[in-house]
Amino acid sequence: MTNTASSTHFIRARRGYTRRRTANAVMLVLTGLTTALALIPLFWIIGYVVYQGGQYLTPAFFTELPTPPGTEGGGVWNAIQGTILLVILAGLFALPPGLLAAFYAAYYPNTPLGIAVRFSTDVLAGVPSIVIGLFLYALVVVVQGHFSGLAGGIALAILMLPTIIRTTEEMLKLVPPSLREASLALGAPEWKTSLQVVLPAAGNGLITGFLLGLARASGETAPLLFTALGNEWFDFRSLIRSGLESGMNPLEILVRIIEQPVDSLPLTLWKYAQQPYPERIHQAWAAALVLMAFVLAVNIFARLWILFRARRMKG
Amino acid sequence: MGKKMFLVMTGLCTAVLLSACGTAAPATVEVTRSVNQTVVVTPTADPNAAAPLPAGSVQINGAGATFPLPVYSAWTFAYQYVDPSVVINYQGIGSGGGKKAIIDGTVDFAGSDSLLKDEEYTSGKDLQMYPMLAGAVVPIYNIKWAKEIPSGTKLPVMILDRQTLVDIYNAKVVTWNDAKILATNPDLAEYLPGEAITAVHRSDGSGTTEIFTKSLTAFSPEWTAGGASAVEWPVDKAGNGMGGKGNQGVAAAVINTPNSIGYVELSYAVSNGMSYASMVNKAGKIVVASAESMSSAMSDFAGSFSEKLTADIVDAPGALSWPIAGYTYIILHTENMSDCIKAQKLLEFLRWALTDPGAAKQASDLGYSVLPEDVRDTVLGKLGEVTCNGTVLLP
Repeated sequence: MTNTASSTHFIRARRGYTRRRTANAVMLVLTGLTTALALIPLFWIIGYVVYQGGQYLTPAFFTELPTPPGTEGGGVWNAIQGTILLVILAGLFALPPGLLAAFYAAYYPNTPLGIAVRFSTDVLAGVPSIVIGLFLYALVVVVQGHFSGLAGGIALAILMLPTIIRTTEEMLKLVPPSLREASLALGAPEWKTSLQVVLPAAGNGLITGFLLGLARASGETAPLLFTALGNEWFDFRSLIRSGLESGMNPLEILVRIIEQPVDSLPLTLWKYAQQPYPERIHQAWAAALVLMAFVLAVNIFARLWILFRARRMKG
Repeated sequence: MGKKMFLVMTGLCTAVLLSACGTAAPATVEVTRSVNQTVVVTPTADPNAAAPLPAGSVQINGAGATFPLPVYSAWTFAYQYVDPSVVINYQGIGSGGGKKAIIDGTVDFAGSDSLLKDEEYTSGKDLQMYPMLAGAVVPIYNIKWAKEIPSGTKLPVMILDRQTLVDIYNAKVVTWNDAKILATNPDLAEYLPGEAITAVHRSDGSGTTEIFTKSLTAFSPEWTAGGASAVEWPVDKAGNGMGGKGNQGVAAAVINTPNSIGYVELSYAVSNGMSYASMVNKAGKIVVASAESMSSAMSDFAGSFSEKLTADIVDAPGALSWPIAGYTYIILHTENMSDCIKAQKLLEFLRWALTDPGAAKQASDLGYSVLPEDVRDTVLGKLGEVTCNGTVLLP
């Protein structure tokens, strides 16, 4: 009697096992398929942009200013320099307030201000980028009376802020509280603890967050339309030269450079893609490729950095 | 000749004898020759002329309509050889954006295909519009011919009369072999299919739509949707309409939709290699969109400029005139430009653009129509009235 019972039990268990295994296999295939499905667009886009843009990449594309539409030749040197300037400005403007806000939110998570910081960061992350552009148009461009790289840099900085604050905050939370407490117990003031103990411990994460924010900002077009405007003539060398010839000092030249309207790669891509001339469309593809390669490189670099450092920490 | 020499001489002659230099510089490629020619005129230069400014030291910014962007880019590129001290940056952000920017005073000049409203003149008190060029809007079509075209022959271009175009967009003419279309195209009779016409229009607000719908309004009282940058298309209600974003979007929609018709600026039709229809104009003559037919249309309305130098040039009465056309304008502050050197250089550039044969050639090569002389003189006269701190800038 007991024998039969245990064997039916065994068969039942066996059946259940097979069913579970089948279900597992089916689900595994399904999730695998959907993953592949999700990845197809990514590789499709990358492949297509490489195919379309790759054939128009020439050395001149990187080193020359644009020629008029409808003519062969010329490059996007203006946009490359503009992107560099915008990214530097955005980084300078976003990093200090981003770090400070993140420290506050991580140290005092349950104070009213700490909650407010996190809440408003989330809200800011959801603001459409074009709205940020319009906001800075009213706040900087209209007040100054001209479009400028400065305004564009601030717009991108605001766009980067949420990414920087949230990732920094997460990284700071990962630093063991005992580390901070030990430092405080040894008599180090809070600012010194933050700067010399907590910050280095969370350093890699911070750099990653910063780079990811930078990558996001450097791909933006909308906030630049009303701030940086675009400038086919933007060239550090000729700005410096004409500044020197006009008798300006280095500081004045620097101010003049950031007060110019500037171009960026996404802006150029957006502008060129709408034109009727095939040369422009080709250059738009090439610009798309350069932009994608840049953003991808920053992203991959940031992620490899985490991976590498995490391994070293473990080992 | 050293580079410095070149700069000095070009600078000198621009400061003093701009028009002479302007005519001497035919195009960007011919820089050396233009320099050699300016040498001849330099000795007559006014000794009181100011020293030339360093290259690239005056930056002028403009923004606005995308329609004239290609030619403005070509001009600003060429102008660096006429006056190296000036860098002119024009960005196509749309007519609406350009108007807003000039009213806010965030650009030195704006480009616009559409007119300022009365209240916009009130907010920017000294604003003035100047026609710079005109553009033709053309009906483009893509038809899957009903019959094989014998090899070696080319079908004639389709001819539409004004009423038929209105009927198509009113969804009254719905097939390609409609009697009204056949009437003007006897040669195409056996090729035109009995298929439904898909009428493509802009899905975004646009100056092109404004010109096109203003024309339809002038063509026939049956067009009741009005003339504006965006309208309610009767053909959409009939289910035969289709929208495309931008000139490029309309061109793409027509290319990809068999038996469709659309409207784009002439340069888009040409650069995309599309067939565009001829029109029977108000005078009952068949005209092709071209520099001549545009020039004729502008001359027909040369006397009808408003105080602000605006004029509609749709449905021109002249025998040679293209009926679907519009001006593209530059907008300036006439009294309150903050930087007088900048203002001076900007006006010199605009005068060069309007008068230099090389500039005119660049424009017509790109498919734009330059102003006929009578219109141009009106514009130049008005440019001469611009002042900075009370001083006239273009004597």
